[in-house]
Order: sequence, then C-alpha cells, then structure tokens
Amino acid sequence: MTSDLNTTATPTWCPGCWNFQILAGIKSGLAEEIKKGKNKDDFAIVSGIGCHAKIFDYINLNGINTLHGRVLPTCLGMKVGNPNLNVIGFSGDGDAYAEGIEHLIHAARFNSDFKYFVHNNQVFALTVAQPTPVTELGYKDKTNPLGVKFQPLNPIKLMLASGCGFVARVFAEKSQIEYIFKEAMKHKGFAFIEVIQPCIIFHNDKGYLEKTYSLEKEEHDKTNFDAAWKKADEFDYSTVKKIPLGIFYQKEKPILEELYPQLAELKKKKMSWKDIKR
Amino acid sequence: MKFSILFGGKAGQGANILSDILGKSLVKKGYYVFVSRDYQSLIRGGHNFNVLTFSDEPVYSNDSEIDLIIALDKNTLELHKKELKKNGNAIHVEAKGNMYFAGRLFKILCMDFKLLEEELRELKGRFDENIREAKEGYEEEKKIACRIIDRKENLNFMNGNQAVSEGAIKSGIDIYYFYPMTPATNVAGELAEKQIENNHIVLELENEIAVINAAVGSAITGAKTMIGTSGGGFDLMTEALSLAGIAESPLVIYLASRPGPSTGLATYSGQGDLDMARHAGHGEFVRMVLSPGDAEECQEITSQAFYFSQKFGVSVIILSDKHLAECLYTIKEKPVITPSKKVTILKKYNSYESDKFGYMTESPEIVNKNVENRLKKQKEIEREAEKFSQFKIFGKSNSENVIVSWGSPKGAILDAIKDIDAKFIQFLYLDPFPMKAKKEIEGKNIILVENDATGQLGKLIAEKTGIIIEDKNKILRYDGRPFFADELKKEIERRLK
Repeated sequence: MTSDLNTTATPTWCPGCWNFQILAGIKSGLAEEIKKGKNKDDFAIVSGIGCHAKIFDYINLNGINTLHGRVLPTCLGMKVGNPNLNVIGFSGDGDAYAEGIEHLIHAARFNSDFKYFVHNNQVFALTVAQPTPVTELGYKDKTNPLGVKFQPLNPIKLMLASGCGFVARVFAEKSQIEYIFKEAMKHKGFAFIEVIQPCIIFHNDKGYLEKTYSLEKEEHDKTNFDAAWKKADEFDYSTVKKIPLGIFYQKEKPILEELYPQLAELKKKKMSWKDIKR
Repeated sequence: MKFSILFGGKAGQGANILSDILGKSLVKKGYYVFVSRDYQSLIRGGHNFNVLTFSDEPVYSNDSEIDLIIALDKNTLELHKKELKKNGNAIHVEAKGNMYFAGRLFKILCMDFKLLEEELRELKGRFDENIREAKEGYEEEKKIACRIIDRKENLNFMNGNQAVSEGAIKSGIDIYYFYPMTPATNVAGELAEKQIENNHIVLELENEIAVINAAVGSAITGAKTMIGTSGGGFDLMTEALSLAGIAESPLVIYLASRPGPSTGLATYSGQGDLDMARHAGHGEFVRMVLSPGDAEECQEITSQAFYFSQKFGVSVIILSDKHLAECLYTIKEKPVITPSKKVTILKKYNSYESDKFGYMTESPEIVNKNVENRLKKQKEIEREAEKFSQFKIFGKSNSENVIVSWGSPKGAILDAIKDIDAKFIQFLYLDPFPMKAKKEIEGKNIILVENDATGQLGKLIAEKTGIIIEDKNKILRYDGRPFFADELKKEIERRLK
C-alpha cells in the first residue's frame, strides 16, 4: 500500500539519519488511512527548509515545499482554500522555533484542523551545525565558539500556554510516528507533534533514547493541563534526565473551518473554493 | 460651475460623515463630486479635514482655494481661513453637533431637507438627535450660496478602496487575507462586510508574512486569492512574492502606498513605491504592476489583475496610494470587468527549482529550462496586455506638450489641463511597460507629474525607451499631500512650449 506513496526521488539524507524512520512512519500512517477509504488526493503535505523538508520529495502527495519558517501559514491557507483537504505540515526546529515562531503561537490560537510535525534535531544541520533556539547550553560550533549562552526554549510549554488542543512529543522511531500519526488524525483541530530526531552528524543522540519513557504507560492524564505542564518541565532540552513521550495534553475545541459559515458550508458539501462557480 | 467646501474639526467630531452625506446627496441630484480626506495618525483630537468639490461637469480633484469652510472647531478656522476665496464664507458655531452644520449646508445649497433626512436614516445610529440638530441648523440658516437643481444624471459615488473591493467581488474573489495597514485596510472592511452575502472569506492573520504565505497556500488549492497592504507590509511579503514567482501560483496584491521610508507619513499619500513594486523579491521572476487612476479604473484594473494572475500564474500588484484609496470619486460609466477562470490545480509545488513532478532538482539542464519557461511569460503577458488600455491619452492629441503620469495625480491633471495646450499620457500598465507609448512622447516637451521625490515613472520611461525627462520638467510633490488642480495648472503652464 505504501508503494503508491513512493516517489522516484533518491533520498539525500545522511545514511542512518533518523529522518528515514520518520518518513517510514508517516508513509505507513498514510497507507493505513488510505486503506480505511481515504483517497491519496485527500491529503496534502507542506514542508519548510532544512533537512526535514526533503520528506516532501519522498512522499507522493500534492502540496508545497515552501519557504523557511512559513509552513504553518501555508497549511492554514490550504485548509482555508479547501477545508476538506487533510493537510500535514513538516518543519525543522529552525523553521518552527526560530524563523517562524510567531506562526506557531497563532496556529494554536486559530486551531485550523491540520497536523504539524516538528523534526527537532536541536541544530541547523543543513547549514552545517549552528545552534537553534532549542540547542543546549554550552553547545559550540564554528559560529558560536564561546558556546550557547541562552537557555533553550521549551516548545511543549509554549504550545500549552498558547492553547494548543493537541500537544505531543515522540522519538523518531517508526512505531512511535505511526502511533502519533494515528492519534493526531483522530484529533479534530491543530495537532502539534514534536519529534526528537537527533542529528547523527552534528548533534548526535546524547543518550536521549534511554532517558525517554511513555506518558501513556505512566497513565498520565492528558486532559489535565496542570499535569501536562509538570510533565513538560521534565525535559529542558539542555540537561537530559527524563524525556516524557506521548500526548501531554489533548482537548478538542472549535476549529477554524467550522467557525466561519462559508468554510463550514464547503466542508459540508465536500467542496473547495475551486468548485464554486460565480 | 464649481464649488468647494472644506469640513474641518477634531478627530471624532464627525467632519468625515458630513462630507459623505453631502457628497452622496449631491451625486443623487446628478452632480459630479470629488472628496479628499486629510487626517492625522490619531483617533481623537488633532485636526482632520475633508475637501469636497462639486460641479455640473466631471471633477476629479480639488483646488487650493475654498468657497466655504465648515469649521467644527475654532482651530479649523485659524488653519484654513487663508485658503478662502475673496468672496468665500466660513461657518463656525461653538458647541454644536455636526448635523447642525449639515442642516445649515443643505439650506445654503438650497437642497430639500428630505434628502438630508434620508441620509440620516441610513446612518441608523443617533437618528432622533441628528434630525433635531439638522433641523435647528436648517431653520437658522438664511443665506443661499448656490442653487442645487435636479440634473437627472445616473451617477455612482465611491472611493478607490471601495472600487477595488467591488472589482474583486465582480471578479469572483474567494479569499482575502490582510493585516491592518493604512491606507489598504478599508478594502478588508468592505470585503468583510459583504463576505456572507457574496460567499467569500476575509481573514486577518498575525502579520503580513503569514498573509502572503497563507495566500500562496490558498492559491495552489485553486481559490481566487487576494491580499492587501501598504509599503511596510509589502516589504515583509517580498520573500514570499519570490516564492509565488518560482511556484508560479496566481496572486493579486493590492498595494496602497503612503510616503516612506519606514513609517513615514502614515495617513498621507505618496507614489514612492513604484520602484519597489517593480523590483521586490530576490531572484528573477515575472510579475505585473498595474496602476488605476480613479475609482472606475480601480474596478477595471482589479478584474484585469485577477485575469492575468490566473491566466499566467503570476503575482499582479495593483498599485494605488492613499489619495486614490480614500478619495471619493463620481463614476458615470459602467466599469468594464474582465472575467477570469480559476485554472490552478493542486499538485506538487516547490520553493526550490523542481522537475516535472515537482521534486527538488539541481540539474543545470532542468534549471535552464525552468528559468526560460518562467521568463518567457514576460513576452506572453506583453502580447496579452495589448488587448487592454495600458495607457490612456487625454487632452489635445496633437500637442507638442506631453504630460506623463500614473495613478492618483490623474485627477488633478485632468482638471488642470482643461484649457491648456497639452496632451496627457496616463500609464495604467507599468510592468509590462507599454512600448507603444514611446511614439506618443518621443521628441515632445515631456512634463512629468508624480507624488514622489525621484520621479520613478520618469526613471521607468528612461529605462524602457531611452527618453530622458529634463529635471526642470519634473513636477514632483513629496510632502504627502495631493496635487491641487489650480496650482498644478500654473506649474504646467510654466513648462509649456
């Protein structure tokens, strides 16, 4: 089934890159959706600029490989253009937390019904190793020989504070991607999924995987905001003690596409603006 | 016959509503009316004024001299009495509501009170209070300065922003995104008011970068998409303008200028963004820059912008300015709307160079082909543009004196050249540049009129035709204020041959 989703493009990720696992998980999740009756053309993908964005070439779906940092408004525009499209956005941590961070807050606020995966490798890999806003204290590279001086941002807390209705983190393993893809597709509204994806060249796994644990297994109450906030605090992206994985918080609220009668009507009639003749 | 009235007061006193009401009533009576707005970047207090000129002949601008001043505060009187004509009048009474002055005005112009009542009813709010004030003024006023009659002309009255919105609706707009910025914001207001009735959608996003990127997202799903901003907001959009260039997604961008650089004069007018509109965005790609000069052309040009953007998959910039956007014009002719089809389909789009499947490529052969395919649109667009009025000729067609301009100065130029020996070429298409205009200006005494400091149309003409306009023949105004017809006439006369 995933064969329909294959493309002729040759992957140019480094051999052994965790992005391959993300790709496999997403494709398998998509194949599952298609098996359940959805059409390939019911989906569209959007990526930004950076290593993550290459995923656009490796999934045979329509969409756009857009500018650095602008995945979110592009996804929103596609949903407004056709509320019946299932739009999936992919960003890197540079995309999501640096260049386009303003959009992240507003995506949570608008709650348009699309899914957003942030491939967080804690480094600007494609431009060769500069720190991002989520790189740990003290990290050094050629451009920052004195080491990173600033505490990393905590995107999970940022999303919780912004009112995001689906806040999750997984590790870049195929099975985890499959799981969270399925959960995100079930969720009505904007879904924020951070994928911990250590860069094997510039920011290797500093024992992350061993420190992770499943929120689900620990019976974390994902409807409890305060509990989610506490769990979000366990990993500060700098010191690695415990890394909770899974859904921190989930709460459905009205989606943009239903709040505007014009869009609700399109959704109901399974139409896009393109079908509206004037 | 031409009569001008200045309405002035503090922001919030309602001078704007007064000129609106009178303008609408005069247009109903069949008079040609032009209203300009001068207001400051503040909400209450300060000094705002509108100037209304009406005539039994078409009028597109104001003169520098005023027949009647309606002063809602004392400051208005102090600031503007020097503009009064010798036999002009000024009305100022302390502590009266604005409709008191409306009452007096309608009497002065010998207009039926019922007309005013109609307008007040349309205003909805404060009706009883308004009508009481208006009656008081109407009864108090004894003088008559000008007799308005029934001219039985079927005229329309709207400002540039309203006309752009009308044009967008008539062109079948689906989606409009914006972030508020004077003087473009009212297009969002106009379109938002009609979104349910016309079934389109208007969304305000977090900034101009989101606006244009969302627009590209919507455009590639096939929706007719438009955005609006002014110079500073447009600056923020330019990276995505370049994206639209490589992705070849259709986009209509309304760019209503005000004087820069930077925040400049936030509520005044200028044409300093022509260079930017022509060149914005990194890399080489095709875009169009079209410039209407009055409300009728605002509708027509907007429909052409949709037409070209859809047909060629390009961004089309409708370049306007605060003067055009907010002045009220009287429209006699029915605008010619160019219909356009939605042809864009969702496929794989890319900000990188891409192959026929939409996958990123760095192949020199494919890149060459892509670049050439994108750029050849320029020639195709030039050919298609031949079907439209890319420039218009007014005045004495065989004159040796040729005035060249674009955009909002059109109005003052038309009013200024009525009885002088000059031809006027108005450029509506700036990119592509209509090369046929060359023979209209070659070897003539060319006079450039622009609301900017560097004569940007002059530079464009030089670039495209090699014709250099002498500095002494450039009439440039860059204080944020529009040209007045009477002053402009004197400036033009000094340069005639």
